Amino acid sequence: MSVDTTIRMGSLNLRTPLLTGSGTFGYGDEFGSIIDYSSFGGIITKSISLKPRAGNPPPRICETQSGGIINSIGLANVGIYNFIESKVDTLPMGKTEVFLSIVGDSVEEYVEVVEKLEDVSGIAGYELNVSCPNVRRGGLDLGGDKEAIAAIMSSVRTVTGRFVSVKLTPHYPVIAPVAQAAVDAGADALTLTNTLVGMEVDVERRKPLLGNVTGGYSGPPLKPVALAKVWQAAQVVDVPIWASGGMVNGIDCIEFLLAGASALQLGSVLFADPYAPGRILNEMIEYCERHDVTRLSDLVGKLETR
Amino acid sequence: MEQINLPIAEKGVVDQIRKISDDTWDIKVFSPGIAKSSKAAQFVHVRVSEDFRPFLRRPLSVGPCSGDYLRLIFTVKGSGTRLLAQKSTGDVIDLIGPLGNPFKLPEDDEYPIIVGGGIGVVPLLLLDDQLEPDTPRDFLLGVRTESLLPVDEPEIKHRNIQIASDDGSIGFGGNVVQLLERKLSKLQSNRVVVYACGPGMMMYALKQVCIKHSIKAYISLEVPMGCGLGACQSCAVPRSDGDGYLLVCQDGPVFDATEVLIEPEVLR
Ligand SMILES: Cc1cc2nc3c(=O)[nH]c(=O)nc-3n(C[C@H](O)[C@H](O)[C@H](O)COP(=O)(O)O)c2cc1C
Ligand code: FES
Repeated sequence: MSVDTTIRMGSLNLRTPLLTGSGTFGYGDEFGSIIDYSSFGGIITKSISLKPRAGNPPPRICETQSGGIINSIGLANVGIYNFIESKVDTLPMGKTEVFLSIVGDSVEEYVEVVEKLEDVSGIAGYELNVSCPNVRRGGLDLGGDKEAIAAIMSSVRTVTGRFVSVKLTPHYPVIAPVAQAAVDAGADALTLTNTLVGMEVDVERRKPLLGNVTGGYSGPPLKPVALAKVWQAAQVVDVPIWASGGMVNGIDCIEFLLAGASALQLGSVLFADPYAPGRILNEMIEYCERHDVTRLSDLVGKLETR
Repeated sequence: MEQINLPIAEKGVVDQIRKISDDTWDIKVFSPGIAKSSKAAQFVHVRVSEDFRPFLRRPLSVGPCSGDYLRLIFTVKGSGTRLLAQKSTGDVIDLIGPLGNPFKLPEDDEYPIIVGGGIGVVPLLLLDDQLEPDTPRDFLLGVRTESLLPVDEPEIKHRNIQIASDDGSIGFGGNVVQLLERKLSKLQSNRVVVYACGPGMMMYALKQVCIKHSIKAYISLEVPMGCGLGACQSCAVPRSDGDGYLLVCQDGPVFDATEVLIEPEVLR
């Protein structure tokens, strides 16, 4: 039995539902020949900001007893000008679809970065990273996260017709209002979720394991949290959901599809297992064969809750 | 620019594993692609667990290589290295490498002094092999105490390694940077170049000594890593000029000692 792995989302037609999680795959070419692009539907770059950001003091990564990792990279990136000058040419365009992740400190910054990228051809779309602490500050100025996110999305919509996903934090106790606000403001998809805020302590030295004390908690322990957010959002919005959080194998990915995700971002797993995309795709196909499913996309939202 | 081979993914096979001291192990791995192209201070990113516990790979310096074989010598410091120490002959190890930039070999008129601290000696063993056989050199190694020596007696003899121990249980009584200072005061050549790898405190002290004596020092750094490939920015070390960070996996692991700020806390 051959299983159709393609995923259609509006104007997009992806070879497979697998994407990379922003920040875990650089600007798309660092993994070189080690990665097999054919298993991906697309890649998402490290978040790009208007100005270059140096990032946080080291150490920037640690493991947790619970089987995850915490990073405090601090959105280190080359900034939009350097990106256009030196990174655009190295994007894996032609090998897979390329999405650019954008981050900013204000509505204007998001708009300015997207405007500059509109001249770059071959880009499949954007992911707006509105789930970093800085946006929260801006969010308060605008009357709350929901308003800030809607303002960012609707302003970006005025400068691009490209596919845009809005990436949310898992920290909202109730995701529905924020998810709805992003969609009402013009989002083509939602990415759920970014990392949780976490920390680890070295009790012998009485010091935090990360230079920045706290960081973003990802990997397997994040999966149930992200899964719940995907499911909750899928109940209220009708745009595709891009899942992100702790997937390390095909069964994890099937869980997210059933909960309502249309695309699946592999993040931290790539550090441990750069061959994960091919392996995971095969594991998903095996599942489909076992269950007589001919199209992966047929599984989306097929969770039976009673 | 020296030609650096692109990293490859290779399933190495354990040929032999032996215990060198209380907590140090030496694995000889059949890994022809990586063994043949590795240069001193390059590292391999080693998958320690197939089921993601612990989650991350471990960067390990490539030790001495012969033909199709490379040696991984490591100290058991946590769950990852503990798993590696449990490998036996025939086991497969998933490796990515060689990664990072190697040591720049000495110019004809330069006199190399190799300075290792504890398990930091590993990349220096490969360097020792890669220097021309007739190149005169000093090879110093510091340990806390004799029982923690990361190399065995025959290797110490064969390489003519001079040992310093903090407690005086073997060789020079004192730390290896003090031993280096002694050497420097006796040496005529003003074209000394130091090659060093070791714990944070040692690297910190070594940098000060090299600055004081106006000596060029190449240091190889070890920090926690995510991807090992320049994609995630996990392995940053501050530049000494204050202008942001350098990446150990991509810009290093070898740096000119004056290029980076050495923070003893951050280096392993
Ligand atoms: C080292 C690292 C850097 C990250 N950088 C970004 C980033 O720049 N922008 C972003 O939106 N998410 C970033 N993330 C979050 C991931 O894209 C992903 O949403 C999160 O790690 C959860 O998925 P995972 O458990 O599969 O890693 C980063 C994660 C890691 C581990
Ligand atoms: S470990 Fe990922 S950039 Fe160095």
